[in-house]
Amino acid sequence: MENRIYRRIGLIGALFWLAICLFPLWWIVVTAFKPPLAVSQGATYIPFVDFNPTLQAFRDAFSGIRGDFASPIFSSLAVSITATALSVLLGSMAAYALVRFEFRIKLLAGVVFAVVAIGGFVVVTEVLGWKVPHALGAMLVLALAISVWLNTKNLPGPVMKNNDVTFWFVSQRMFPPIVSAFALFLLYAELNKTGLRMLDSFPGLVLAYTAFGLPFAVWLMRDFLSTIPVEVEEAAMVDNIGRMRIFFQIVMPMSKPGLVATSMIVLAFIWNEFLFALLLTSSKWQTLPILLAGQNSSRGDEWWAISVAALISIIPMIIVAIFLGRMMRSGLLAGSIK
Amino acid sequence: MNRDTLSKHAFMWPAFLIVLLVTLFPLIYALTVSFQSIRIVPPIPPQFVGLQNYADILASDRFWESIGTTATIVFISVAIQYVVGFSLALTLHHNVPGASLYRVTFLLPMFLAPVCVALIARMLFHPVLGPVNELFTMFGLENVPFLTNSTLAVAVLITVEVWQWTPFVVLLMLAGLQGLPSEVFEAARVDNIPTWRRFWDITFPMLLPLSVAVIFIRLIEGFKVIDTIFVLTGGGPGTATETLTLFAYNEGFKKFNIGMTSALSFLFLIVVILFGTFYLAAAQRLTQRYQ
Amino acid sequence: MKKLFLTAALLPIGAGAHAACAPDYSGVTLTVSTQNGPFIASALKTAAESWEAKTCGKIELVEFPFSELYPKFLTAMNQQTGDFDVIGFIPAWVPDFAPYLSSMPVEMQSGDAWDDIHPVYRERLMSWGGEIKSATMDGDMHMLNYRADLFEDADNKAAFEEKYGYELTAPVTWDQYYDIAEFFSASDAVKFGTAEAYRRGGQQFWYFFSHAASYTNHPDQPGSMFFDPETMDAQINNPGWLKALEDYKSGLDFNPPGSLNSGSGDVRPLYAGGSVAMNIDWADSGVMGATEGTIKGNVRTAMLPGSTTFWNSKTNEWDTFDEPVASPFLAFGGWQLAVPSDSKNAEAAWSYVQEVISPEVSGKAIVTANTGVNPYRFSHYEDLENWSSVFTEEEAESYLGAQRASLDAPNVALDLRLPGFFSYTEILEIELSKALAGEVEPQEALDTIAAEWNKLTDQFGRENQLAAYRASMGLPALN
Repeated sequence: MENRIYRRIGLIGALFWLAICLFPLWWIVVTAFKPPLAVSQGATYIPFVDFNPTLQAFRDAFSGIRGDFASPIFSSLAVSITATALSVLLGSMAAYALVRFEFRIKLLAGVVFAVVAIGGFVVVTEVLGWKVPHALGAMLVLALAISVWLNTKNLPGPVMKNNDVTFWFVSQRMFPPIVSAFALFLLYAELNKTGLRMLDSFPGLVLAYTAFGLPFAVWLMRDFLSTIPVEVEEAAMVDNIGRMRIFFQIVMPMSKPGLVATSMIVLAFIWNEFLFALLLTSSKWQTLPILLAGQNSSRGDEWWAISVAALISIIPMIIVAIFLGRMMRSGLLAGSIK
Repeated sequence: MNRDTLSKHAFMWPAFLIVLLVTLFPLIYALTVSFQSIRIVPPIPPQFVGLQNYADILASDRFWESIGTTATIVFISVAIQYVVGFSLALTLHHNVPGASLYRVTFLLPMFLAPVCVALIARMLFHPVLGPVNELFTMFGLENVPFLTNSTLAVAVLITVEVWQWTPFVVLLMLAGLQGLPSEVFEAARVDNIPTWRRFWDITFPMLLPLSVAVIFIRLIEGFKVIDTIFVLTGGGPGTATETLTLFAYNEGFKKFNIGMTSALSFLFLIVVILFGTFYLAAAQRLTQRYQ
Repeated sequence: MKKLFLTAALLPIGAGAHAACAPDYSGVTLTVSTQNGPFIASALKTAAESWEAKTCGKIELVEFPFSELYPKFLTAMNQQTGDFDVIGFIPAWVPDFAPYLSSMPVEMQSGDAWDDIHPVYRERLMSWGGEIKSATMDGDMHMLNYRADLFEDADNKAAFEEKYGYELTAPVTWDQYYDIAEFFSASDAVKFGTAEAYRRGGQQFWYFFSHAASYTNHPDQPGSMFFDPETMDAQINNPGWLKALEDYKSGLDFNPPGSLNSGSGDVRPLYAGGSVAMNIDWADSGVMGATEGTIKGNVRTAMLPGSTTFWNSKTNEWDTFDEPVASPFLAFGGWQLAVPSDSKNAEAAWSYVQEVISPEVSGKAIVTANTGVNPYRFSHYEDLENWSSVFTEEEAESYLGAQRASLDAPNVALDLRLPGFFSYTEILEIELSKALAGEVEPQEALDTIAAEWNKLTDQFGRENQLAAYRASMGLPALN
């Protein structure tokens, strides 16, 4: 009896939210078919009843007068899929290490790292007049070497453990992207001058986005991996199978649901990223969000054109969402989060 | 070095190095720049100014107002996202009729580019031509200035954030629910414990660690909200909807006041870290009380 | 042997193909960048096709959102990435971009095609610091659009004259403009009186400037509209500007409801769709109204209204003139093209620019729908035939006449062009949107803007800013 009430409340709630979710989507679908007058004279909802649908907006989009869609779609797909795969792979590896091994990083070694890196950078740029990227590159290597060496020594002070390492990864996402994007642009621009093409290139974007996705991947995968029982691995260890093989042949297959969910979330973030894409690309590797943002400017609110562009950008993601939804239904995700 | 230590490092270093290279590099650069006055427009040679940039920002009302605006939008919207998202996840978990349809549609908003979402919202909330206006007109409220009244604009932004990011909560909480051991619930059902109590005594505490993580991710991402505001209100009217990131964006990307922007970003980082530490500490105490 | 034969046979063909390339840029690929299409971008694309056919070069067109163009171009040029060979941008950014731009080759600065460009563009907007750094590819200014069917209707005319005591025609002063707007708002002939843009980020401040020019661009004190041309003190809080802001705000009563959200893009369909009797816009409304709208044949365009009183910032009092003085404001000033100095193909790039702005190519662009290109050459204004696909004869005459008259007006008002443009306009937009939403008093808002402008000027160096301001207003350097 009581259960039925809850089910009813749940159903009403779900239906209500369904309407809220769908209405804006319905709105862009119909708006994409509207002639200008059906927009400028008040809200209209139903094709053929409220207005006569037209394909003009689609024709405009595909004829190229609103920008070339094909090439950004390709760059977006290539970059986001590669970067997602890389960050989930490397993130799972790091997460696995965080779950199975103990890390002890002395706070002091970390402080030394910061002091050497920043101090060295200031000295080398201000006193020796090095260029910013070179100075930073050199100082990062130096500081890293010193602090890794120091960490093996017996240092006083607090020790940071696995939780802190995880937090460190996530905290990389706290810094506002404006400055990072600009600084990364400076770095890439310098590298470009040395002949290593990073700006407006596939490797440059993939590197940036891999770093962009890693924090999420590490955190989420750590949660998922920690639910995998250690016994299976121990059996394998007895058989003297290497860690790498254990990881790829046993752990990864077992955490497939977690991997998929994490990939989807990372993919969604990378697919929609705007600021890095804006600064790091110019012509060949421009991604979709840049094109989308532009639909808003040239002739004011041309709602039909905006809707078409929005539709083009969400279709790949609808496929993703259907895929995800199916997996949740099949209970594939069950048991993946502790 | 034995084999395990070797693999421990082999597993950790690739991720560590990439993050270090791509995110720490800008951080160090920004930190040194934040003590200088550097402008690209109009070009002014860099000059060491010490803490001047920081002092200027702390003294400006705009900074404090933008913190207030950001906090209002983020806290309210994340709270709603969590409550709504968790309830929906519960509903979906218990297989209400049509659940498979909801599962797909509930996720969609998360996968739309924020710029897109904002553009759609601008159509919906248009004070004359938008459907929301028609809805309000039915209740006798005609042409409400949704985007040009300070309070309403903030409310619209919260609505948009909730619409787009509730799916994130649904996705993760549902995965969490499905991972709960069913034996516990069976036992509770046999003992005839009411549904409401079952939720508060069993489900909620068991999902608390996941909830903490989900809320935390949403909070730090929420603090960076910019695209929606940029498109919907441009920060207006006045600076009523200007968030920290938008403020930083304008300083850095329109005025190219690089020194100031860097200082601003660090203050922003401090605010987020302060706030994150408090949050995590509080969350830990809450978790402990439940266990 | 056979191979040799083949080569010999192919040789003339190859040579023939090369001869067709004049000048020969085969193997050169130019990256041309501007805002997302169709406006401007589609015109560049059409010109690219004809340039490619002529020179055998290749053009790659890259588009960015308008709001991101400035940072994108500036960072790329500042870091000398060499990403762009030709950039399409707006005159307000020239002061910030100028250090990174190459100058137009001298051979392009003479001849018939050069003299054909209206001097306001050729001598004022295209030049910075004494050099030609950019090429106008689109002429633009604010104008007043109105509907002939309403303005020439006998009933309307009689009713208007009875109420206001003078004849209903295109307004020549802002007071008349508001009378007419009020008249049509109350009348059943049309829904609303007028349409202007009020949205922050929707070109709002150019509309404000268009009002202000009529009270502050004093005919006897050239260049004193925004700043004092001797001291660089901000003028924006003087009574002339206050009157302009009050005018601009009061206009909301005659605009459709919700106009605080209207950008310039929204103002166009309102006029073209027949919802308003007038609007203020760039040249695009006229073309839209005549081609896509419901008011075909009734598009009429006039110079912006003027006024009989100007605030004299020297004597600090209002000066009155017997006849209304028109001070048409060259808002925005139209799109321009330039070649960054880090371009590796500067010669080819300028040759492409020459193609875009050539009388033939641009003459087609101005009458093609959705190019966003508006007239800027004498030949554009004079060749009425060319316009027959867009306008009726009356429409073309008033449309072109209004633009030509604006440019030729003795008291034409030039747009603000200063290093640090965004810093100046940001605070302006913030305070303006507050004042329009009724959150602060107009005078208070203007005082804040003025104080902030003075601060910015000091920060950027008063001397430099003053020199730049004088140059942009066409005044000789001091001392």
